[in-house]
Amino acid sequence: MQPYELTLGAAAEAVRTRRLSPVELVDSVLERIGRTEPRLHAYVTVTAERARRAARAAEDDIAAGRHHGPLHGVPMGLKDLIDVAGIATSASSRVRADHRAEASSTVAGRLEAAGAVLVGKTHTHEFAYGLTTPQTRNAWHTGRVAGGSSGGSAVAVAAGTATFALGTDTGGSIRVPAALNGVVGLKPTYGLVPRHGVTSLSWSLDHVGPITRTVEDAALVLAALAGHDPRDPASLTAPATGYRPPTGTDLTGLRVGVPRNYYFDHVDPEVETAVRAAVDEFEALGARLVEVEIPMTRYIQATQWGLMVPEATAYHERTLRTVPELYRGDVRVLLEAGELMPAGDYLRAQRSRTLMRREWAAVLREVDLIAAPTVPATAVEAGQETITWADGTTEAVSDAYVRLSSPANITGVPSLSLPVGHDTTGLPIGMQLLGRPLGERVLLRVGHAYEQTRPARKLAPAA
Amino acid sequence: MPSAEPTPPEAARWAARAGLPLPADRHAAVAATAQHIHSVVAVLRELDFADTPPATAYRAEQETHDAAV
Repeated sequence: MQPYELTLGAAAEAVRTRRLSPVELVDSVLERIGRTEPRLHAYVTVTAERARRAARAAEDDIAAGRHHGPLHGVPMGLKDLIDVAGIATSASSRVRADHRAEASSTVAGRLEAAGAVLVGKTHTHEFAYGLTTPQTRNAWHTGRVAGGSSGGSAVAVAAGTATFALGTDTGGSIRVPAALNGVVGLKPTYGLVPRHGVTSLSWSLDHVGPITRTVEDAALVLAALAGHDPRDPASLTAPATGYRPPTGTDLTGLRVGVPRNYYFDHVDPEVETAVRAAVDEFEALGARLVEVEIPMTRYIQATQWGLMVPEATAYHERTLRTVPELYRGDVRVLLEAGELMPAGDYLRAQRSRTLMRREWAAVLREVDLIAAPTVPATAVEAGQETITWADGTTEAVSDAYVRLSSPANITGVPSLSLPVGHDTTGLPIGMQLLGRPLGERVLLRVGHAYEQTRPARKLAPAA
Repeated sequence: MPSAEPTPPEAARWAARAGLPLPADRHAAVAATAQHIHSVVAVLRELDFADTPPATAYRAEQETHDAAV
């Protein structure tokens, strides 16, 4: 096994026990980037020299007995919406051609303090406003979409070109590409991870979180990210907690909600079969399955759009007037049309969110978590615009990919996506676990228990 | 409001009122996207909000304090 193939947990242990040096690990990942990037295009910028310097410094620190914890000396990719001092934050957009971040974001600062080594900035759908990331190729099949908007981060982790990465999630942008590339993505509780220094798509829906190869790895990264920062007005003051899941697989006493509506409607049969098989595994591990009714489903898309569209347009107000031609066509027209939305629509979406949060809280009093597909279909072919369902209805690809993930953005509840199999063409299938606010530990425990019942996953073959 | 609104000239007028002058070749595309957005968000008018306040700023954790299991 090459160092680039190691999970974060395995790499951390090898570094801690000095069986592997950060220099060897970072060189292995950089060499992997050199071989796979011509096909995958996960990165906007590769910071090779900076990474090698940081790796040597980490090696020296560890040799001198200054070990900073499990991220020390581990290579990471950051979605190119996340500021790192001295480097451009391109947002994968020509609008940011001359950008240079003056200071690091809170999350980049915390990861640097934990000793993680930046190997590069990963592609996003332009300004995170889309679900495919067209610049980047799926790590399992280069003719398929990467998913988005954190497509570069998910592909890098799946391909072995980052040991872990960060993404952002406004309607599903961590979990969608994680599911489509066979890796783990965690959208934490709204406000748990500070967003200071991260380019916004929609302030009241934006989250930052990890994309990793295993659930345990997601826990290790979350521990470094979580915690109050007054520079993000939504930042929670919840006390620090440990996230590393226990090693046991016993789920006795846990109530797992299985939706009887919405989450299995217009879902590919192979996706449904894989997710239900994973749910059955929870039952085999001792959990009790409880049917739940998802509330207010008729209003999910309307609420998501009513919040996101005007907030995104507001963020881009200045550049939409000065350099509109620099945006890609799909993003430009959404930003322009957002100018036409009345304040009444935005307020109705805000009030709908109040109702939806209350009703979800009631459901989550009856169960400890809810298990559901992350996305209703596996990765579609690049350029495909619609999905046709068995009943003959068609749905835009972006609408389909965001449909099952956006409720967690509206309500702010945490959602963990993890791989649960492949379809007959070999493309990965993802399941999401939705929990109570600040219920990350429960999701990580359940996800980790499930992973322990499965063989260890390999890197994506298209890499 | 009928779903065929805004028409391209209306889209141009509304955008201009919002401070965004649109070139003529943008009117039709922006109108079509605005129509679609309107058709999506209009269903919120069915809800009776009564005294429900908007969640303009919110704390995700305030509903429950027993998240740990």
